[in-house]
Amino acid sequence: MFKFQDRDGKILALRAEMTTPIARIVTTKMGSRPKPLRLFYICNVFRYNRSYFENLREFHQAGVELIGCSKLEADGEVIALLLFSAEKIGLEKVRIDLGHAGLLREILNTMRLGESEKEIFQKILKSRNTAKIDKFTEDFGISPQLKDLLLRLLNCKKLEDLQSISLNPKLAKIQRFLSELLEVNDILSDYGVEEDVFFDFSLTRKIEYYTGVVFEASIPNVGLPLGGGGRYDNLMEKFNGQKLPATGFAIEVEKCLWALKNQGFDVSKRGEPKVLIKSMSRSAGVEALKFLRNAGITCLLNFDEQEKGDVIEYAKQLGVNYVVFVGSSLEKSLEIYDINLGSAKKSRLQSFIKSMEASEGG
Amino acid sequence: MDRKIRVALPSKGRLRDSSLDTVKKMGVHLNESGRAYIVEDAKGDFEFVFARTFDIPLYVHYGAADLGITGYDVILEREVDVYELLDLNFGKCSLVVAIPENSEISSVKSLSRTPRVATEYPNITRKYFESLGKQAEILAVRGTAELAPRLGLAEIIVDVSETGKTLKENGLKVIDKILDSSCRLICNRISYRVFEKKINGIVERIGRMP
Repeated sequence: MFKFQDRDGKILALRAEMTTPIARIVTTKMGSRPKPLRLFYICNVFRYNRSYFENLREFHQAGVELIGCSKLEADGEVIALLLFSAEKIGLEKVRIDLGHAGLLREILNTMRLGESEKEIFQKILKSRNTAKIDKFTEDFGISPQLKDLLLRLLNCKKLEDLQSISLNPKLAKIQRFLSELLEVNDILSDYGVEEDVFFDFSLTRKIEYYTGVVFEASIPNVGLPLGGGGRYDNLMEKFNGQKLPATGFAIEVEKCLWALKNQGFDVSKRGEPKVLIKSMSRSAGVEALKFLRNAGITCLLNFDEQEKGDVIEYAKQLGVNYVVFVGSSLEKSLEIYDINLGSAKKSRLQSFIKSMEASEGG
Repeated sequence: MDRKIRVALPSKGRLRDSSLDTVKKMGVHLNESGRAYIVEDAKGDFEFVFARTFDIPLYVHYGAADLGITGYDVILEREVDVYELLDLNFGKCSLVVAIPENSEISSVKSLSRTPRVATEYPNITRKYFESLGKQAEILAVRGTAELAPRLGLAEIIVDVSETGKTLKENGLKVIDKILDSSCRLICNRISYRVFEKKINGIVERIGRMP
């Protein structure tokens, strides 16, 4: 984290993520709002470690938090929303890999490992090296029953695969987490997204505050996850002592742009159409500008270029879609030059706006 | 996914040769091509890129390569988040702290609190000295760190050593070992998901071989 010292000696820090600042605001300023809260953000964050996209120190996260609901429906809702958002921005083949921080923690506790051993074992699980798992479970005298469970969990690729696991009553807590995951699967199929969600027992997100379902979003040809999230039921009480369950996700904006580019999507071509206005008369030009802006169209006036060819050339450099040539008044039909088609036609402003709305809809 | 799996291999020396042996164990036949940087296999399932060992962890981290073979020392140094699938048991060496032979100091504890250290491994070196409660001034060099004491650049170096011969020839003695290293098969985390079956097959085939 970036830390500085204020003039009076206080420590200042740049936020490394948004969930913690949101937790602070929710507990201190939004206590009386009806729960659950549904919040979103698009914000810049700052990190000093080197293993993120292109070594940028500052990047942007877009995320949501669903605060004040411990139901699995909340977990399902944010996962479905992540998939929906990714699709909305144009990403294809997005997949979610999902694990359970509570389940993994409970199994490590049942194995009675020390803190450093837990860390080593998590690394081994992640590498999926079965020879190493064999050796570790042997070295630490892990029961065959538990070892069998570990291997079966690693082999479950879809949440529904967990149905096949039934445990003896001693492991009731683990069984409860498994049925939670199966219920999440049911919720996800209500949203129609269960096909895109995979189970990964070894998945651990880097931040330690997660307590339940955790997940990560990725696409096939981009080597880093685009984002992820999970349930964090114990974070809020650190601020005001009151338990407030929550879940949420964040995706990295720059990584999504990278992913879109990777999937052949030209981000610069997206967005609302823009219009350059060239007018013989200043008052008619301004009138056209007001008219188009009122219709919600991004537009600007051109003063400098005099020749028609120069105006069109300038419009191309700006990346606008249309040039509107206005004569002495808006009463007459105008010449509208379409940059993409490279041709002009005569039209009234109203019908021009209608035609743009129509093409946007299609 | 029906694209080729891209594998990054060390471009030079013995590590290149041993890595190519490993590729043979995978049952893959390379279209040999001498010095080309990118080579396909005969069946067209794989694409091999030859790169510097220090760069391979980054290639795999960002998914520029799906798999890679490189030393454990450089994987740690690059601080990347990749799956380490197999210890390939070649390229064995140690990362050591060395000082001039004629120095009276015999342990790292006796070094100054702010030692000046020349190394190719600035990140590992910084963390190592921090763990000893010392704040090292680190001179990041490329190759030949063992020259630094002779040139008066730094009294102390952190460098890899296989047999200790090179250190001795340069009048240096080892006062501590930071870690043991060997070559590892590493995998990008997303690629593992995408090519899970194929990659598990490869790991099994290499693992089975002596």
